[in-house]
Amino acid sequence: MSEHDQFRELIEAYALGALDASEKAALEAHLATSCAECAKALEEARLLVSQLAYLAPAVEPSDMLRARILRTVRAEAGEARPGAATSSRTSIPYWLWAGVAALLLLSVYSTWDARKMQREVAEVNARAAAELKQREELQRELTVVTREARILTDPASKKIEIVPSDKKIPSLEAMWHAELGIYVTGHQIPVPRGNRVLQLWLIPKAPGGKPIPSHTFAPDAHGKIGMMVDNPPDVIAQTKALAVTEEPAGGSAQPTSTPIWVGGIS
Amino acid sequence: MTPTYGDDVSSDAALVERFLRRDVSAFEQLYDRHSRIVYALVLRIVQQGSTAEEVVQDVFLQLWRNAGQYQSHRGPFVPWLLTLARNRALDNLRLKSERQRRREDQTEELPAIAQAPEYEKALDEKRRAEQVRSLMGILSAPQKKAIEMAYFEGLSHSEIAAALKEPLGTVKSWIRNGLLRLKEGLQTAS
Repeated sequence: MSEHDQFRELIEAYALGALDASEKAALEAHLATSCAECAKALEEARLLVSQLAYLAPAVEPSDMLRARILRTVRAEAGEARPGAATSSRTSIPYWLWAGVAALLLLSVYSTWDARKMQREVAEVNARAAAELKQREELQRELTVVTREARILTDPASKKIEIVPSDKKIPSLEAMWHAELGIYVTGHQIPVPRGNRVLQLWLIPKAPGGKPIPSHTFAPDAHGKIGMMVDNPPDVIAQTKALAVTEEPAGGSAQPTSTPIWVGGIS
Repeated sequence: MTPTYGDDVSSDAALVERFLRRDVSAFEQLYDRHSRIVYALVLRIVQQGSTAEEVVQDVFLQLWRNAGQYQSHRGPFVPWLLTLARNRALDNLRLKSERQRRREDQTEELPAIAQAPEYEKALDEKRRAEQVRSLMGILSAPQKKAIEMAYFEGLSHSEIAAALKEPLGTVKSWIRNGLLRLKEGLQTAS
């Protein structure tokens, strides 16, 4: 047997990968000599050996494997396309991006909607507070007006004319109800000068008693006065007269000027 | 032997040409057509499902990424793909068993395979498997055993002889004569 024939006999085992190292090296050295016959025999032997794969028991690869491989391939194919690099690099399917975008939009809308609702609730609360305040104010005014009306109409009220020292100005009138208080009215009353105000005083019957300070007040733009003293500092039985002086803004503890009006209680 | 390509062989080459141009649908068709035999082969070698899936994934991704490695004028596609898959599976097997011997016919430099002879004509997988199993059934049990140990376990003549406790020369004869009988059978069947 020639050397070539000896190598030729190794070709199938070489294609199978069964040659030991020394034989393998020797055959490869022979193949390197460009032996056309052996090269062709080797190609055919490799084809033959590949057929042995069909001896493996038939089994199906999983669908997950297919999905995994195709996902990677599609992503890489996408990367190769100009302009598609960003979307494919992450291998995230488009439907997932769409879902994320929808969630973001929903989140933004929810935030906007929540803030809008918060603004609306705040506005409603503010309106409710204003209306409550207005109602309380009206209630208070109603209470005052009701009290004024009762003082003015109740026969138990005592009418006191408070006469000016200057005959050029009108008198004031007070109605004193033992339980409801004093209501002072006046018309065309001149406005005090500067920042001064008018102040009501209760003059005690007790000898040497000092004037008891009460409310300060001023006429409105039309010279009208309507002042309620719902809790007088003294009782009518202990009071000799009512007096009104002009005082600095905020009133005084003791009269600082001569009374402009004085009304005796009989 | 005059090369005669069947429809499947030709369309495989056409599909490879298409996915060389990054046609994913062509790759998908090739996968659907050949993934079963590739997976069966790899599983038979590595004997473990999850490892087999890893290897098959590597094989097909290498195919996709380096499609240019396959040159249709150097042989039919399926034997080339099966050689690639077997080499990858055996590499994995050797890595895991920490064997020292390394294959030199690396997967990245796959060898040329002969132009398709008659028996490589269009045969679907099932018929091909039946044909090969039938022909292997003709071989003696030791011949079949030795060939399968070499092919599926990557063992050399010496390793097989040691495992079977048979003389080295006997094992060599079993393998060579068995492969030649298989070749004759395939040629006759075609």
